[in-house]
Amino acid sequence: MVHEPIIATSTASFEPFTAQPIALLNEEGEWTGHFPIDLSDAQLQQLYRDMLAMRLLDERFTVLLRTGKTSFTAPMAGHEAAQVAIAHAVRRGHDWLFPYYRDYGLALTLGVPLVEIFGQMLATQADPAKGRQMPCHPGSRPLNIFTAASTVASHVPPATGAAISMKLRRTGQVAVCTFGDGATSEGDWYAAVNFAAVQRAPAVFICENNRYAISVPLALQCATPTIAEKARAFGIPGYHVDGMDVLASYYVVREAVEYARAGNGPVLVDLVVYRYGPHSSADDDSRYRPREEVEYWRQRDPLLRFRRFLERHGLWSENWEQQLREAITQEQAEALEAAERAGDVPADWMFDDVYATPLWHLERQRALLRAELQ
Amino acid sequence: MAAVTMVQAIAQALAEEMERDERVVVLGEDVGKRGGVFLATEGLLERFGPERVLDTPLAESAIIGAAVGMAAHGLRPVAEIQFADYVFPGIDQLFSQAAKLRYRSGGQFSAPMVVRMPSGGGVRGGHHHSQSPEAHFVHTAGLKVVVASTPSDAKGLLKAAIRDDDPVVFLEPKRLYRASREEVPDGDYVVPLGKAAIRREGDAITIIAYGTSMPEVLKAGDELAKVGIAAEIIDLRTLLPWDIDTVMRSVAKTGRVILVADAPRTAGVLGEIAATIAEELFDQLLAPPIRVAGFDTPYPYAQDKLYLPTVTRILNAAKQALDY
Repeated sequence: MVHEPIIATSTASFEPFTAQPIALLNEEGEWTGHFPIDLSDAQLQQLYRDMLAMRLLDERFTVLLRTGKTSFTAPMAGHEAAQVAIAHAVRRGHDWLFPYYRDYGLALTLGVPLVEIFGQMLATQADPAKGRQMPCHPGSRPLNIFTAASTVASHVPPATGAAISMKLRRTGQVAVCTFGDGATSEGDWYAAVNFAAVQRAPAVFICENNRYAISVPLALQCATPTIAEKARAFGIPGYHVDGMDVLASYYVVREAVEYARAGNGPVLVDLVVYRYGPHSSADDDSRYRPREEVEYWRQRDPLLRFRRFLERHGLWSENWEQQLREAITQEQAEALEAAERAGDVPADWMFDDVYATPLWHLERQRALLRAELQ
Repeated sequence: MAAVTMVQAIAQALAEEMERDERVVVLGEDVGKRGGVFLATEGLLERFGPERVLDTPLAESAIIGAAVGMAAHGLRPVAEIQFADYVFPGIDQLFSQAAKLRYRSGGQFSAPMVVRMPSGGGVRGGHHHSQSPEAHFVHTAGLKVVVASTPSDAKGLLKAAIRDDDPVVFLEPKRLYRASREEVPDGDYVVPLGKAAIRREGDAITIIAYGTSMPEVLKAGDELAKVGIAAEIIDLRTLLPWDIDTVMRSVAKTGRVILVADAPRTAGVLGEIAATIAEELFDQLLAPPIRVAGFDTPYPYAQDKLYLPTVTRILNAAKQALDY
């Protein structure tokens, strides 16, 4: 289900470079913000629904893996508040998103059809990218979601380029680029953020900072106390935010996106989250993270915190939750079935889209494979 | 029309394409006021302004990567890398992003862009101002690779590259930038990609070459003619897709072929073409295909002229093929 976008009606003005992450909800779900919430009850409930849909999608990916239907997953549980907030803070279908491989929740909330998501996970003909990549690589031309690549931070320079193009062509768009904390150590990341800053291009760089690059903790990744502080080196604002607080993430990203859109140049947002699962289905995180640490963060689940907030305002009940879960589960089951029904990608598709028009050597190789398969 | 050098022809092509299509933008180090260190972008900033002629920070990954995003968003960027030897910090952008964007997105996104770079030796530049890295690009699916060797071709091929819907690596033999002047055809002169040029017709032996080594190859052709041997000289111009029809037609006619370029010998473009000739025309060959390539050393400084295929080396290879 694609819902109506949340339209910003006020700004809150946050301080950049805070030592403590910006939070608007405490663990008990109490609003601690210094401004009134401008979201309707329905919009607040939608945020929760989207977070729940993302959590259930993540769980289903694991089932797909265990049943041998897919070969790989990049677990995203713990990133729900961050990804759902980003999706609601941009102008969907207008702004461009440059996601990385842990962003299927972002893609889902932006409106990528579930059947396309499962098509990509299973490499069936339901995948608009034609089964070309490993699972967990979102992309959508109609929604301006630049198809993810595996190489860490390699999508950041293209985000800068798109932002420069938006400025040159005066499209009123913003390029929003997401990445993990490990990406901020790549040379391409620095080169890209610096170029965007020099050009005052409408780009927002958002770190989904889960504190681990596979096994390497943030303390071995960088010496600055926060990722946000790196923004100082580029002469742009950096915001250090509790990325497990959906309202803090939403309001800060919304302000950042509109700041960039207004021609003020790029913003860096550091959304501090925690990844509950391993880096990927090929990883064993018990080798580097104590179970107590994971359990500690599970107690701070972004869904739990926001549920408490909704409950305080009479917007959540056991019954509603149950209905939501059933509806989402049903929706996902149907989409999965449709994706499977679409059928496997033909071998022949391997040779398409290397170039705009086929080149002779590839056509020869296509003929070779066809002959072999006959 | 006045005769122009290759670098002037390139500047003309850029100006004409920017005039023709407002989506065309130029970006790179020193491409603005300086007009490029070789003056390939001279006059563009004054004419088209800083939004379309972008002096960039000194970061090849940002230059190539930004071009990918610009292209995906609808522009037609032409990125300049100051020397081909400096492309390596930008390789992830070229290989992982530009080359694979169309494929990995199932044709949803594409990167119609050109990455221009001066390449090749013969200018006493040592190994970081002299390399010919074309094999890396030819080995990467999704890129097209072009090497011009004359002013007219440089202009016509660059225009074709800018209009192409795929990322094109455009190598400019810097040694030839000002080596000769030529009257470039008037009007909107476009040389299609993928078509080789026959520089000299002959039936005794085929010489396949491109780029930096073309002057030596043409001299060798003259020397052979003096002793009554008619060499057919093919300038490939595009290395991917290379012009298999022209190559096979010529070799089928002559039965003997040598291949000449300044890039390192091992796993190079010449080897690929030689292997294809052997696969397809084995029973028509009168001698094995012979390569005259650069040596497999880093490009040297003191032996700058010796590294490049010399006329003597080319003639020795031709003799070997003719005497086989």
